[in-house]
Amino acid sequence: MSPEATTKTTYHVPIGPIHPALKEPVFFEFEISGERIIDIDVKLGHVHRAVEWASRKRNPIQILYLAERICGICSYCHPAAFTLAIEAAADIEVAERAEYLRVIQGELERITSHILWAGVAAHEIGFDTVLFLTWEIRERAMDLTEYLCGNRVTKGIMTIGGIRRDITKDMLPRIQKDLKYFKDNFGKLAHIFLDDKTIKMRSQGAGILTKENALKLCAVGPTTRASGIKKDLRADTSYFAYGDLDIDYITPEALTGEVNGDVYDRIIQRLLEVKQSIELIEQCVDKMPAGDIVSEPKIAKVLAQLKKANGEGVGRHEAPRGEVIHYVKLTGEDAPFTWKVRAPTYNNILPWIPMLKGEQIADIPIVAASTDPCMSCTNRVAIVNNGQRSLLNKEQLHRLSVEKTRRLMH
Amino acid sequence: MTKDQKTPEEHVKYLKDKFNTNIISADIKKRAAGSKKNETPSIWMKIDKGAFKEIVKYIIEYNYPHLAIISGNDLGNNIELIYHFTVNYGTRLGEINLHISVELPKSKPEIETICDLIPGALITEREKQEFLGVKIKNIPDNRRLFLPDDFPKDVYPWRRDEKGLEKLYKNLHEVKK
Amino acid sequence: MAKGLPKSFKKALWVYHCNSGSCNGCDIEIIAALCPRYDVERFGIKLVGTPRHADVMLVTGPVSRQMVDKVKRVYDQMADPKAVICVGNCGNTGDVFYESYNLVGPINQILPVDVHVIGCPPRPEAIINAVAKAWVKLETLEGG
Repeated sequence: MSPEATTKTTYHVPIGPIHPALKEPVFFEFEISGERIIDIDVKLGHVHRAVEWASRKRNPIQILYLAERICGICSYCHPAAFTLAIEAAADIEVAERAEYLRVIQGELERITSHILWAGVAAHEIGFDTVLFLTWEIRERAMDLTEYLCGNRVTKGIMTIGGIRRDITKDMLPRIQKDLKYFKDNFGKLAHIFLDDKTIKMRSQGAGILTKENALKLCAVGPTTRASGIKKDLRADTSYFAYGDLDIDYITPEALTGEVNGDVYDRIIQRLLEVKQSIELIEQCVDKMPAGDIVSEPKIAKVLAQLKKANGEGVGRHEAPRGEVIHYVKLTGEDAPFTWKVRAPTYNNILPWIPMLKGEQIADIPIVAASTDPCMSCTNRVAIVNNGQRSLLNKEQLHRLSVEKTRRLMH
Repeated sequence: MTKDQKTPEEHVKYLKDKFNTNIISADIKKRAAGSKKNETPSIWMKIDKGAFKEIVKYIIEYNYPHLAIISGNDLGNNIELIYHFTVNYGTRLGEINLHISVELPKSKPEIETICDLIPGALITEREKQEFLGVKIKNIPDNRRLFLPDDFPKDVYPWRRDEKGLEKLYKNLHEVKK
Repeated sequence: MAKGLPKSFKKALWVYHCNSGSCNGCDIEIIAALCPRYDVERFGIKLVGTPRHADVMLVTGPVSRQMVDKVKRVYDQMADPKAVICVGNCGNTGDVFYESYNLVGPINQILPVDVHVIGCPPRPEAIINAVAKAWVKLETLEGG
């Protein structure tokens, strides 16, 4: 082939689908010219398990456990949003103490998830020591989760009208001890992520999402806040006990004084949110009123009440990755008429396109990971080279990324 | 980021004046939470298909909304699409939820795309096409999104009629007779 | 398990993890098993990025319609002798998704599963135990 012909050829690089994103694993097809990405196509649905459809045969209490299994990392926020939707549709009262306990669980999940993400992000740029450091911290958060809920991953803590387990006085010292541990280690993590030259080189100016694009593409959560949009359900609306707490919007400006919307900003954003979550848990522990933890402890009674209810409700909760929204329609039957789930990654997929356009192949892992779609394990890439297929697996893609870090360091 | 923030009541009044008959019903629901019982307002509106795009334009002019999702119901003769918008985010406890419901007859389930106004609506519009069998006119990308390519053509999982899923139903724990 | 174990140590197992539509719950527990608290790398167990290097395949998830041929392909790419471990309830029984239209699983209808790990998700200890059991099976296959 003549040199002219090769320079003009663009390559198509499919990524996935053996690639564990959350609810929606993704199949990407990149069009690249040399090292630069020109266009991106996304295909979803490899983990379509018909969760919403399955709800037609189950009652709301059973759906709580189904919702928990939508995503193993957000195993609190889906039942939480579903409960909020049901409570709004059937106008069910919630025990006051439970509202605070729900905030504690939600923030604990955010700490676990963001620390997990920090490790994955470090891994993507070849900084594996940080991966192990963060997972050591995360295990403490998992222990605390187990202490409070009885389980490590699927927590089974949410119920309609309240929460299933109380935090008693004798449990408080353990919580405070662990929060202190997180605070101490937060400084360590912040030092690594904010002062390390390698991380700065790889993340500053990479994967930029402008404020306008974030707005138009309906991005949610830390992804949109890192682009400078103040959108945080915990502050915007009053649900659980968030309306009572002292909470403010966090954007990367708080630390750096400017918003670039790049990967570095998204790292800062999540770190600041971990700190905010620790403070919120402390506030809740202080302000928590005494009383019942569930408004109606008899599940049969709750179900009977829901069977009579007619109406629609929407539940929205700020999950670690952004807003999760559930819509429920009740029509006086055992099972809800409709249940629609929207996980945060759903909205954070389209923003990948402006983020990745113009970037290098070696930047795909860190840029894609910066929206926290949980690219924690394997993804596989096939390069279609003029009809000849050669495979580039996750390891090689990861190696490319690591090599780029090394090149930058020299 | 907003010029003048309207209360939910003002929104409803303004829209009712402007689009009068096109708005079939509008309710404001408020739900309190926490010890201080702060309220979150939501507007639930049923509107006519004809005015739909104009109303979306009005919201965008007021304050660029966040389109959370489009959800849908199969109501028998009609398919209902509910657009869940939120406006006024960025102000402490100032957010308003806006749920706009449009009913489309099953004989001609068509609606204009809003991707030209809100590009982020693409994924959810594609999802509605494959799960409810509605036709989104002028959608920039018409392909399937979640369902596999070999999935039967005329089956829409969220329908409750003959186009629903009964054929594909599979129960792993069914006791075989 | 204990009987075959000392011999098995002569070969460190490399594990390939394949997600066939899992919720990520099992997947993070697998990573947790590799990280400092449980640290299986001290036994030589290592997660590898390609099935061609692997001795053991960990499958999570209930196998959605789009993933069947991919899971089969991953299995075919592994060199013999090989073992398959099914991690998590949904791969074993369907769990809460048992009646879903988009599932083809359970995994043992698609691949020959050697070790079933029950739990939603199983604890890291259970996953490590399962890999240890797969050692014994691989030993038998090698005639050692």
